[in-house]
Amino acid sequence: MNTFKDWIFTLVNLFHSVKDENLRWQTATYDQQAKLKQARVLAEKTLADELKKKSLQLAHDIALLRTKNHAELAMLKTQCKQDIKDYQQYLAALDRLKSSIQASYTHLPEAVAFTIHHHAKHLLNKMWEADNFEQKMQYEMRLINFMTAVHDDARIHLEGDSRQELPEKTLRLLQQP
Amino acid sequence: MLIKFSLFLIGCALALFVSANVLLSLSPSDMPERITLIGQLMLLSAFMLLSATGLLLAAKRILHACLGFFSAGQRSQRRLLFIQHRQDQLHRLIHFQTAQINYFNETRRKRLLVANHRKHIKALSNALTDELLSIKPQLSKTAFQQLQQENRHYCKRLDGEGLLKLQQKIAASATS
Repeated sequence: MNTFKDWIFTLVNLFHSVKDENLRWQTATYDQQAKLKQARVLAEKTLADELKKKSLQLAHDIALLRTKNHAELAMLKTQCKQDIKDYQQYLAALDRLKSSIQASYTHLPEAVAFTIHHHAKHLLNKMWEADNFEQKMQYEMRLINFMTAVHDDARIHLEGDSRQELPEKTLRLLQQP
Repeated sequence: MLIKFSLFLIGCALALFVSANVLLSLSPSDMPERITLIGQLMLLSAFMLLSATGLLLAAKRILHACLGFFSAGQRSQRRLLFIQHRQDQLHRLIHFQTAQINYFNETRRKRLLVANHRKHIKALSNALTDELLSIKPQLSKTAFQQLQQENRHYCKRLDGEGLLKLQQKIAASATS
């Protein structure tokens, strides 16, 4: 039994000695630990401040982006409305073109008038759907030339300078590829 | 420290079991039983100590994780990520809104085009009907009905090419 008691005491002594050693190490390294703790707290604070600053900057950027997006969308909407208006005006102009050629050439078959109008509309759509500016300009020029030819034919026929029954100049343009 | 102590207890318990076994073979007294009991208690306390240490460590880790989660640094980081995500979302949104506006614009334009096309197809179809009626006496009843039906069909389908071919057909019928 005494041996067992000795064992227990030895164990308790061992435990205390380990604790003492630990305490000594803590005392010896107290300054270093305090410095480390302070440095860690400082680093955490700096990081938090930096992140906060970045968040504020980003929030500001987002506000700017939102305003820019609103402005861009409003501009795009206006531009689209204008595009539709222009397209309507073009269609109305082509309708008037057909009416004028029909008014000048009273015996012009509806099929020919339809073909002329259809070709002009085809050019208009090509111009509208062109991907690049150069192509757009090319189709616009072709459309303008075609409309000019139709108006010339109508005017010449109305003035009585031509005895042809069909708008030849326009039909020649129609046959071009 | 606690883990080391519990491992030490386990070691002691095992040593006690071995010594009890040795004593059991040497003398028939009740000493081995007592040693075994002590060994069992020691083993039990060692396992309880281990479990308690585990629970303590887990609780400590959970507490640290919670403190870390609500710390200023991580909160700022989460906020930053949220704002960055919002920014990306806005970039995507503008792209889709632009695409939507363009799509509706294109649809409106096509609707205008179709309406215009329908108007002119109708005019051509009416002209063809007049032409057909003017040559009706020269045509058989079935031929007239066939041509009229074709006219209606192409008009309904907004087929300009078909109507132009029909016009040629009517002109050919009129001359023959």
